[in-house]
Amino acid sequence: MQNEAKNPARNGTVVAFFVFIGIVAVILLIALLNAPTMGGPRVMATLQTYLTEVRETAIPYMVVVGMVAIIVAFFAARELRKVWTNHRRRTELITGYAFLAPYLIVTLTFMIGVILFAFYISFNDYDIFTRPKWIGLSNYAEAFQGFTDSTKRDFLQSLYNVLWYTIIVVPIQTTLAILMAVLLNAPIHMKQFFRAVFYTPSVTSSVVITLIFVWFYLKAGYVNYFLQTSLGWVGINFESVNWLGDPRGLIQLIVEAFGGTIPSTQWYFRGPSIAWMAIMFQNIYTTIPTFMLMFLAALQDINPALYEAASIDGASSFQMFRKITLPMLRPIILLVVVLGTIGTFQVFDQVYLATKGGPLKTSLTPVFLVFQEALGINGPINMGYASALAFILAVIIFAITFFQRRFLERGTELY
Amino acid sequence: MIDVDLKPAPVLQSNYVSQRLANIVKSTLRYIVLIAIGIIMFTPFILAMIGTFKTDLEITAFPPKFLPEVWHWENWTRVWNTDIGQGGTFPRWLFNTAFLSVAISVSQVIFCSMAAYAFARLRFAGKNGILNFMLTTMMIPGAVTLIPAYVLMTKLHLINTYWSLILPNLVAAGSIFTLTQFFKSIPKDLEEAAFIDGATHMQIFRTVVLPLARPALLTVLILQFQSIWNAFLQPLLYLNSPDHYVLNVALSIFQQQYKAQWNLTLVGAMFNAIPVILLFFIFSRYYIEGVAYTGIKG
Repeated sequence: MQNEAKNPARNGTVVAFFVFIGIVAVILLIALLNAPTMGGPRVMATLQTYLTEVRETAIPYMVVVGMVAIIVAFFAARELRKVWTNHRRRTELITGYAFLAPYLIVTLTFMIGVILFAFYISFNDYDIFTRPKWIGLSNYAEAFQGFTDSTKRDFLQSLYNVLWYTIIVVPIQTTLAILMAVLLNAPIHMKQFFRAVFYTPSVTSSVVITLIFVWFYLKAGYVNYFLQTSLGWVGINFESVNWLGDPRGLIQLIVEAFGGTIPSTQWYFRGPSIAWMAIMFQNIYTTIPTFMLMFLAALQDINPALYEAASIDGASSFQMFRKITLPMLRPIILLVVVLGTIGTFQVFDQVYLATKGGPLKTSLTPVFLVFQEALGINGPINMGYASALAFILAVIIFAITFFQRRFLERGTELY
Repeated sequence: MIDVDLKPAPVLQSNYVSQRLANIVKSTLRYIVLIAIGIIMFTPFILAMIGTFKTDLEITAFPPKFLPEVWHWENWTRVWNTDIGQGGTFPRWLFNTAFLSVAISVSQVIFCSMAAYAFARLRFAGKNGILNFMLTTMMIPGAVTLIPAYVLMTKLHLINTYWSLILPNLVAAGSIFTLTQFFKSIPKDLEEAAFIDGATHMQIFRTVVLPLARPALLTVLILQFQSIWNAFLQPLLYLNSPDHYVLNVALSIFQQQYKAQWNLTLVGAMFNAIPVILLFFIFSRYYIEGVAYTGIKG
């Protein structure tokens, strides 16, 4: 303490130096963990074998990261030295970074480090057990091979499936969520109770809901039973459907009803399959309540004076809904649409449990494909290709988010 | 909460009666629709719950019967006594799920509130840069980190240890963001008084800010508990030995193992669903605030 009082500036330099060393060491350690090397039990047996592997394959990577680390550490150390003599600014700087340290370390290790690794791997042929082999853009090219070769259409088919999913699910879930929110926002007794009951499907694990629905969708399940009985009342004989195993597409069904056929090479004309639509229905059921709550919160922010003014002018409830509620909800509607779209790209649990991507690939989703390729479920482990797919997916999602931002800002500045 | 009164004020006496009649019809209709939706939302759970008491044959019989002939309570004990070897027993899976959910949600409340305090209250170089960085990372889809994180876990020998799920989930950008927004809404007066009295930031954080932020902390705790309890993809990848399964992963194994015995799979599903549903009904206020809040602001 006394020493510090005597010569604070010099102390600052010493501490800054140690901070510099510390930051470089931490970043290099994180980089070492995520170095693009082969894995496997032989390499990972001891620290020594791993370090040998890093020395042989990842020296350029470590050098680049090392330089970045030195630059970051230099600025950090300089800042610390600058504020050292000012007690308040010094404590805020040190406390600030001490409080952020867990976040920074976890994020750098498990997010930034691994993303850099994945980015590198996406240009390689990599199966964990051998050294990554540089193959340039082949992985990215492979993703789009389905345009020319319909046997390699997995990724394109998954995007196609997601497109249909978005077209069907997003409007339905948004509309129903708004209607339910409006209903709950009306003056009713036991509002909390109804709200809680409506929200239950969203708190439950998607695994649980999916299993229940797989059971409902069995050929001898409740869905067939329900349709048979209710259609039986109006005199229609309903043939039981194997919901999750039926690859026939919506457009295909319509065309076939008129006597036409769509060959399997033209899969992109067949539309969403029955199995895929069954999953959509189940997903609508679980996502509506979340979106309903968002709309409900937004509805409660609308100024009641607007409705009072409108009712004095003699507007009907429906007019008020169209001219006041909907315009006021516009920003939230856009947000929900975009969240819903992004969500559909990442559907995994339902597909994994209910259909495994089948029948005839009609329920493949990008994330399921990434999972499949990375673990080598249908063939060899293909980490590089899986990473490339993940990055293409990320670009698509970023693009959607970007458009959302622009639309959202335009939407809100009106009010 | 504002209840909007949509009906125009009655102007003429002759209109008044018909107006009231219309209102009664309207509100009756409203309740009918509300109850109908409530039934639709709850039906799958009720049918599944009843299904857990049926026999193997009844559960896939066509046409299905609503109630079982005899209520087979032993289905529940059969599932509870499941043992698939290598330490894979049902109580163990329940423990894994509960332990991980508690450990992760508690650690998130601690570490995320610390980070949020730094963002909301402290002034230091680089803060805004890190905040923007954090908001950007929130847009990164999970699929991108999925594979390389799995590779990292294998390198660290963490596959099939609890750490593989705990470490990457120690903090969550979404929770930090929610808490930052909340901390900013707390008046600063108390903290400044404490600061003048010579309290350190750690003391202010622990004795002034955290007690005031209790509702927000509880919201984060509950939402994270639920999200870990319901997590599937990460535990499927990282925890794949029978003694480390979480319930969700075990359920996907059940489905393959018991194939036609849907009654047993449904018991497993109910074991998973009931705790979160109970938790939700007890703390529904926090849930609903949390979802509405993170949804709109995030």
